[in-house]
Amino acid sequence: MTSSRSASYSHNVMHDMALVDYFRASIGQRAFILTPSYPFMFIGEIISLVGDQVELAVETTHFAQLENRNWLIHIDNIEVFYIEFPGDPRIPELNDML
Amino acid sequence: MIRRYHVVAIPIRMVVNNFGDHNPDGQMYVLKENEEKVKELIRKNPFTPVELVQPLTIRANEGDTVEILFENQLPFAAGMHFQDLDYNVLTSDGANVGFNPSSLAECGEKLLYRLEATFEGICFFTDVGNISSTEEGSSIQGLFGTLLVERRGSWWTDPVTGGPVNSGVFADIHHPFLPSFREYAWFFHDEMEVDDLTGNRPINAMTNQEAESFHGVNYRYEPLHNRLKLVEEGVVSPEVEGEEVHHDSWMFGDPATPILRGYRDDPAVIRLIHAAAKETHVFHYHAHQWLRDPSNVQSEFVDAQAISPQSHYSIQPLYGLGSLPGTIGDVIIHCHLYPHFEAGMWGLNRIFDTLQDGSQCYPNGTPIAPLQPLPDRPAPPRPTKERPGFPNFIPGKVGCKAPRPPLGIVGGRDMTELEKNVAVPNARPGAVFTDPCMNNSVVEEFNISVIELPIVYNKQGWYDPKGRIYVRDEDLDDVLSGKKEPEPLVLHVAANTCIRVNFTNRLPHILDGDAFQLVTRTYETAFHIHFVKFDVLVADGANVGWNYDSSVLPNETIRYEYFAETELKAFFVHDHLFPVSHQQHGIFGTIVVQPRFSQFLDSKTGEETDKGAEITVHNPLIPDYRDFALFVQDFAFLFDKDGCPIQPPQFPGSPDDPGIFAVNYKNEPLQFRLGKDCDPAYSFSSYVNGDPITPVFQAYEGDSIRIRLLQGAHEESHSFNVHGLRWRSERPSNDSQIRSQQHIGISESFTFEIDIPRAGDYLWAFETEEDVWNGTWGLIRAYDQEVEDLIPLSDRPLPAPRTRPLPEVTGKPPAPADPQSTLPPEAAHNAPIRRYSVVAFQTPILYNSFGDHDPFGIVFALEEDVEDILYGKKNPEPLVLRGNSGDLVEVTLTSRLKFELFPFPDGIHPYPPVKEQAFYPPSLRISLFVNMLDYDVTTSSGSTVGFNPDQTVGPGETITYRWHVQDAMGTCAMWDLADLRNHRSFGTFGAFIAEPRFTTYHDPYTLEPVRTGTNVILNNPFGSLYREFVLIMHDGVRLEDKHGKVIIDPIDGVIPEPDPEDDEVDTYDFGSRGFNYRTERLINRFRKHPVLGDLFSSEVHGDPATPVFEAYPGDPVVIRLTTPSERRRAHTFHLHGHNWKFDPRDIESRIDSYTGHMVAGVTEDLLLIGGAGGTYNYPGDYMYRAGNIRWDIEQGMWGIMRVHSKVQPHLPPLSH
Repeated sequence: MTSSRSASYSHNVMHDMALVDYFRASIGQRAFILTPSYPFMFIGEIISLVGDQVELAVETTHFAQLENRNWLIHIDNIEVFYIEFPGDPRIPELNDML
Repeated sequence: MIRRYHVVAIPIRMVVNNFGDHNPDGQMYVLKENEEKVKELIRKNPFTPVELVQPLTIRANEGDTVEILFENQLPFAAGMHFQDLDYNVLTSDGANVGFNPSSLAECGEKLLYRLEATFEGICFFTDVGNISSTEEGSSIQGLFGTLLVERRGSWWTDPVTGGPVNSGVFADIHHPFLPSFREYAWFFHDEMEVDDLTGNRPINAMTNQEAESFHGVNYRYEPLHNRLKLVEEGVVSPEVEGEEVHHDSWMFGDPATPILRGYRDDPAVIRLIHAAAKETHVFHYHAHQWLRDPSNVQSEFVDAQAISPQSHYSIQPLYGLGSLPGTIGDVIIHCHLYPHFEAGMWGLNRIFDTLQDGSQCYPNGTPIAPLQPLPDRPAPPRPTKERPGFPNFIPGKVGCKAPRPPLGIVGGRDMTELEKNVAVPNARPGAVFTDPCMNNSVVEEFNISVIELPIVYNKQGWYDPKGRIYVRDEDLDDVLSGKKEPEPLVLHVAANTCIRVNFTNRLPHILDGDAFQLVTRTYETAFHIHFVKFDVLVADGANVGWNYDSSVLPNETIRYEYFAETELKAFFVHDHLFPVSHQQHGIFGTIVVQPRFSQFLDSKTGEETDKGAEITVHNPLIPDYRDFALFVQDFAFLFDKDGCPIQPPQFPGSPDDPGIFAVNYKNEPLQFRLGKDCDPAYSFSSYVNGDPITPVFQAYEGDSIRIRLLQGAHEESHSFNVHGLRWRSERPSNDSQIRSQQHIGISESFTFEIDIPRAGDYLWAFETEEDVWNGTWGLIRAYDQEVEDLIPLSDRPLPAPRTRPLPEVTGKPPAPADPQSTLPPEAAHNAPIRRYSVVAFQTPILYNSFGDHDPFGIVFALEEDVEDILYGKKNPEPLVLRGNSGDLVEVTLTSRLKFELFPFPDGIHPYPPVKEQAFYPPSLRISLFVNMLDYDVTTSSGSTVGFNPDQTVGPGETITYRWHVQDAMGTCAMWDLADLRNHRSFGTFGAFIAEPRFTTYHDPYTLEPVRTGTNVILNNPFGSLYREFVLIMHDGVRLEDKHGKVIIDPIDGVIPEPDPEDDEVDTYDFGSRGFNYRTERLINRFRKHPVLGDLFSSEVHGDPATPVFEAYPGDPVVIRLTTPSERRRAHTFHLHGHNWKFDPRDIESRIDSYTGHMVAGVTEDLLLIGGAGGTYNYPGDYMYRAGNIRWDIEQGMWGIMRVHSKVQPHLPPLSH
């Protein structure tokens, strides 16, 4: 019983660590993130990792009033993400004046 | 905790406004402690309203037991029937139903009701001892009230004194750790008796005819015809016309109707109740929005909500009073149905920005009553000479029309010093006292005018010579020169847009008179908006209370500013100065707030655009879609090509249901689509008649579409159905139920997100009989191959190049469909097949034991039951088919219709009537349409529409439809679409129930498996056993009595007798009504035993003819409820003593004991909380019934659910 619990615990740790490592390796890149909670969508440059939180310089969210500031997003709250590396498909340029 | 109230039902004289209009025969509930006081006040004030005369509003907390000692001083047995609460039905039902002991009190008696307040919310109560629909009935005369159940631990205070209150429609509610809020009870009610000061029925000063009946709020109404008298007598500014100043406090002082007072940003809840008796109203609250279901954050935003009799909703404005921008001023709340609005069904929400301690006065010298600030909010600043607070900074003149806003009119005035003191720092036209647009937002500017021009509505040349529409200034020349067809204004903006509108009034000063209307000087108009955020003082496009008059005179331009902070769907725009007079001529439109970053394209050319009822939307993040806007209209004042008025009223200016119906300024009446063979079965076929002139929206197979559904005019309910497509009822939630029908009233706005699974023609229709007959239908056409005038969506595969020519009009019926050649789009290839063989045939139907019957019934039945029905062994009931999730259902339909068995072989169907009666002979063809299921629309929708093949069958022919049950959606409605005029009201409808996978269906008495039936036991290996009761609520039935005389309901069913002068029966009220081909018309019982309080008693009358469903306490029960047929008057369904989730699929959804808006196509699944007997499983007889006192219950729309306390030999218990 104990061993299976610790096994699942270690799986969770491994899963979280993999995400943290991946985001840390992507500092300086643009990311697209969906979260289940408000404001649901973020696009911006990854600035740093603070523990298991991603610091993002948010240029676009669903709501314009929440843009142009740094957000800390806990990795457990990231449901979907895409990080844009050179040569990869680009995250769309979103512009209110389109 | 036990809370005790002593309530007395008393007769009372109700003065309903300051003009002395009164109800001499009013009835109301009052607390015993106030009884003498209120009687004394009425004696002293015979001609003015008395504040204590208000619908009784008492309060309790969740978890409380409420004991009500009820004392009856009325001259008939009366009671208090509570919705939503839990109680022992044998002692506390406030009714006399079935074999229960009566819980009504005779005159002079007292009795005790004991109730459990299980759930927070509104618990409406009313009398069901006297359900007469006349002025002798108790509900009509005011006998109703509410118990409001607050969160556990709450207490409440008087908003004026801050002291405790035991009752009252206004209270401040407090809680140890939740925010305090203002609570306002708002009771709509209609048809109450009312006399003027002289004791006569009020007269409309414009038409000099009897005024529209009472339509009010909380025993008050403020009709235009009274205020107009002051204008005509020269007491106030005589140069005005009337309608434009109806709500103007500068002219008339405040109305007698409720004024809901609060400070800016106060949290508030309006407890909205429709207490009685007839109409489905639309509650609209300017400048505020709320969640349709306040307990579910994923429900839809609304700012207008239709409400049927004996229904109720909690309205919790988002962001508190003043909404997001914190606007101050007078915010009008009204029934949006214009004749009701004019008749006085409105009040105000007054939002103050300064403290009211009783030291201030309104501009006319009336003292402002104190208003306690909410204790957990900062108190507003005290008024000063420089900043006197609303409304005292506005430079108006008492007795004259409100002033125009500063800065707004082009070339108009600047601000006064007092106005400058209150204004925001960057005050600008249309945004003076609050800044609606937040930082960062993009500005879009539109130049819009309102113009008059003739509009032709159909191919037969029906036209409105005085069409009035909004149009972009850039399109003025093209529309006026005829290059562009007039259509309702539809503009598109993205969320996060600051919208600026420069609005010019280009209307003539005069709306000319004709058969429909009297000459009216409609000299000022506006652009009133829904949903968006704005400064209500200057940009409401209205003239309300002590606000500015934000309209504009001819040839002047006014500037407005609004903010669309998030995706808000389609917001309604219309005039608010003379809407009663001219909105039905076409003054309505919408601005659709699309998702942020969207790009709008002309669907034909692909060029960017920002307008149009049919566009394509491209978005970089979400799938692209087609956007379609539909506006339904009634009261369209049309003339035929020879200049004869179509359906004029009895006299010009009468609000009594004049005119005809349309969609987007067009209609396509069925009477003109009979074709050469004169067969109604092909009325919708484009092969025979060409495409309709109404919108035929275009898409490719697989496209996503959004339908923006709105109602532009004017008074009535409509039922929107799409055949073969479906959507989620709460768009933000993935858990919500599936729908393919929506009830709509004026000013409501709905967005449906739909995927089109396969090419074909999909019928959309406002499908109550009279609507569709007069042409409120059209198509959504999906192509499988490329067409020239439709761009593909950029994120979908390109359509295949065209290899087959497009179909063409032949004038001949299409070839029969071959459903066996295709599978439904979502069906698996190895789906289990369930087969039914259904026959349509004619047979008399006996509706009750009094001999009321339909000698010309047309029914669907399983083939194995046909003989028993024809030989009289079985009295038919509506066909109920079932299938399980994943099933492929094959329904083989055969027609055995015989021409000689139709009642009106000459092709004129006289009763129940519809407007624009015309030759339309009965079809011998028939079809079976089912909503919501998955099927190929070209073969199995039962709808021979557009260029789809023929899906109807003639005598002796058969067709085998293939329906796929894609989900356990519950109730789906079925009806015939071959002849909506001559078939449906005779019985060609039923229900399909989509059950969970692996479910089996059993007879409740023998437990044998069954293939059909309205009362079954469901057995599912993963769930418990369920009792399933299917109720088909239908109207528009033509019945004959036992002597063969046609029954003209509702008139023939009125108790004790109809008013000989009653002219309130609209075409769509006619016809008998009931459940499952049965009706227990109370008049039959009353003639035998004329005691109102005994009408529902089985002790006296035996059980009703309508279904008596049986169960044991705690049995799991699901009620499958649908209204497949057929008239436009919406009904409410209510089951005594039980509650259910508003949306059975969503655990977050609110709890109700009623369901409103029951019109053609509605489907509901009511999973009774606690099972039979409610939360506490009390045995007894529970009445299910309509909530419309006028005219449903009398006419037989009721029955019983019987919960036995002991095991009955005939009813095996559910084994657990």
